Amino acid sequence: MIPLVAVVRLRNQDSRTFRLWIPLFLVWLLLLPLGILLSPFIFIACLVCRVNPFREVAVIWQILNALADTNVEVEHRTAGFSFHIV
Amino acid sequence: MNEHRQQILQMLSEGKISADEAERLIAAMEEPAAAGGSDSGAAPAGKARPKYLRVQVDSEDDGGSEGPTKVNVRVPMQLLRAGVKLAGLMPAQALHRANEAMQEHGVPFDLSQIEPENLEELVEHLNDLTVDVDQKDANSKVKVRVFCE
Repeated sequence: MIPLVAVVRLRNQDSRTFRLWIPLFLVWLLLLPLGILLSPFIFIACLVCRVNPFREVAVIWQILNALADTNVEVEHRTAGFSFHIV
Repeated sequence: MNEHRQQILQMLSEGKISADEAERLIAAMEEPAAAGGSDSGAAPAGKARPKYLRVQVDSEDDGGSEGPTKVNVRVPMQLLRAGVKLAGLMPAQALHRANEAMQEHGVPFDLSQIEPENLEELVEHLNDLTVDVDQKDANSKVKVRVFCE
């Protein structure tokens, strides 16, 4: 399933931790009309490059689905950052 | 089995190990049990399929006031598989340019020869990959680990 939420955690010098939940489903909802608007251009570009546009869309969909559970953490004495896609 | 798990959780609560290490220990503990449980078949199941590619960087500045920096990146193998599929859809012109650029840099490699099945195989074999890089300077120490789990 396509990831719906991302969590960003920030730790500052005073060891205060801020956790920010990003609702990815809103991002997808916002990107959907843009994708629909751009789809004819993407389709033409795929035809010019001799790439199957449907396969391209399928792979992009697979990438979006596979994003879940991606985790990036950077910890330092003075600050920390982590990004987790749920 | 539960005793071991309890011990790991206790070590975690006491702060002796991190949550990440505890997760790996529990996974390692469960792995032989899973293999043992599935030995009713003819052939052994072999290694469990890795779920993540992990990149860990530990950097320490001995003399400076910066302190150690730890980077931990966990990428699902599924994402790598999807990524290589996208690479397989590269247009012929782009492949040609990439081949030329690689040959210019002394890498005689033809990317157009790579089939999607080869890429799948490549990702499968990442299971056996472990890269350890240790670098020590006068006042800094960097350790990089790349492995699958």
